[in-house]
Amino acid sequence: MDIDFAKLADDIVLDDRSRFLRSLILDALEGGGRGHLSSALSLLEIVRVLYDDILSHDPEVPLLKSRDRFILSKGHGCLGLFAVMADHGYFSKELLKTFCTFDSKLGGHPERFTLPGVEFSTGSLGHGFSVGIGMAMAARLKQENWRTYILMGDGELNEGSVWEAAMHASQHNLDSLTVIIDFNQKQASGTSDLIVSLSPLAEKFISFGFEVREVNGHDVSDLANQLKKQPLTNGKPKAIIAHTIKGKGIISAENSSSWHHKAKITKEEIGILRKELQIQ
Amino acid sequence: MRQEALATVHKLAKKDPRVLFVGSDLGAGTLDEMRQELPKQFFMEGISEQYIVGFISGLAQEGFIPFFNTIGTFITRRAYEQICIDIALHNLPVRLLSGGGGMVYAPLGPTHTAIEDISLMLSIPGLQVFAPADAKEMRALLEASINDLRPYYIRFGKGGEEIVTSDFENFDFMPKVFGSKDSDIVICTTGVMLQNCLGAKKLLEKIGKSATVIHFPYLNELRIANYLKIMHSAKNIVCVEEHVSRGGLFTQMLHEFVRLRIGTENVSHISLPDAFSHNYGSQENHMDLNGLTKEKIYTKILDLNSV
Repeated sequence: MDIDFAKLADDIVLDDRSRFLRSLILDALEGGGRGHLSSALSLLEIVRVLYDDILSHDPEVPLLKSRDRFILSKGHGCLGLFAVMADHGYFSKELLKTFCTFDSKLGGHPERFTLPGVEFSTGSLGHGFSVGIGMAMAARLKQENWRTYILMGDGELNEGSVWEAAMHASQHNLDSLTVIIDFNQKQASGTSDLIVSLSPLAEKFISFGFEVREVNGHDVSDLANQLKKQPLTNGKPKAIIAHTIKGKGIISAENSSSWHHKAKITKEEIGILRKELQIQ
Repeated sequence: MRQEALATVHKLAKKDPRVLFVGSDLGAGTLDEMRQELPKQFFMEGISEQYIVGFISGLAQEGFIPFFNTIGTFITRRAYEQICIDIALHNLPVRLLSGGGGMVYAPLGPTHTAIEDISLMLSIPGLQVFAPADAKEMRALLEASINDLRPYYIRFGKGGEEIVTSDFENFDFMPKVFGSKDSDIVICTTGVMLQNCLGAKKLLEKIGKSATVIHFPYLNELRIANYLKIMHSAKNIVCVEEHVSRGGLFTQMLHEFVRLRIGTENVSHISLPDAFSHNYGSQENHMDLNGLTKEKIYTKILDLNSV
């Protein structure tokens, strides 16, 4: 029987850590008065598990040579990345409140030269996958053991460059490369199926030469288990399709197109979001 | 020029494991010797320019120096955003080797003619843009590039160009001056138009007129300040370029002239038109049509009122 991942993702009750990280996102959102809230809530458990359990990384030495490389190709989900990085000590949590302000290190998309620990500047979609292939190839050429992880949105898969990259990842047998799809099936303008259908997504990646796993993208145990299996098959890059809920954990943001990106967010709205987070 | 460039990349790669060659789908036999001798430094990645620019950016961020070659329009038009964000925003040591600058691919039509490439590339912050004139200068440029970790865009000519830069040993970013410092006529140019301009200079000398040609292989900074005396003493300054009229050498010259308070009333311009061509034929046909042959440059200069 097929597993209904979307229902599983919906059913997950967030633990204290996930709720705390969401509260950090709201701190940043309040500071900037704007941001891609629901995208960040969608990918938060993925980024949390990567930094908590998977990536070899050191916040004290962001450019540690042996670190695993992680590119948030879906750069607009950076509120989630910033919350996790702050919690890991890459920078002070106080800095979150400066989000998107003039001289902040935290902009509306992550920048390598602005914020130590960001591997690559992203924002325009469809870039991170190809860059990550170059990094994974570099590790192979230098005979180093670090791994490369790319997190993309499902809307991002509309970009042709993603599928160019997918062909080359398997052509080069890059089994040190893992792409994770934040598969919330929502885009700014509506559901993915109505804009550009991605179905059947798993079969697409399989046909492009990937080893594919589908997971509940809000279940930290499921995510950690699947991400730890490295490599699944020698010689194949890995695609993790993480079924998520856009806006997960804050009811008025869940599956709400108005919270995809919002500006001029009021204190009253933030108050409502905080209340909803508490009763989740 | 292209053969010399690829051979130089091979030579550099032998000495320096950071050097990689990346092609799109360049045809059987391209750099076969390098492919066999240094297989880990050779990549033929297929017709995927957007991916390739990202791929080489990832490699460059990890310490490699990739040299990517394909047809110029496929680099500059297809992968513009990747060049801008992946390469230039990250200031990565990537070398974009752009085949067929200008009208080299005229018989293949407007999809293949890189008529606005310099303009596109110069508008990207931090990207260093070059148009060497011959194989010797190309080799010197590539050899020097190993010590510079900024991103490069390098325009190629068709190949087989007469070697005219023999008097200049190393690549030093400076303009190259052919002629005296007090000619009435100064011809400014870049890339493989240098040969045509030198041809026009010879024709002028045959009728007793002296002309100085200044070649600008490096287009970001023309460094004209060093040549103020030449510019000020000229009665006519003619800019000659195989490029649309906007955004190339002429635009760069005007910026510099304004900055240095050099008058522009005696400056004229010979370029490709600001239009896609729907003619085919040869590169030479288009040079002739647009006044870019040595004879047409010579005639244009004679026509200038004050000569």
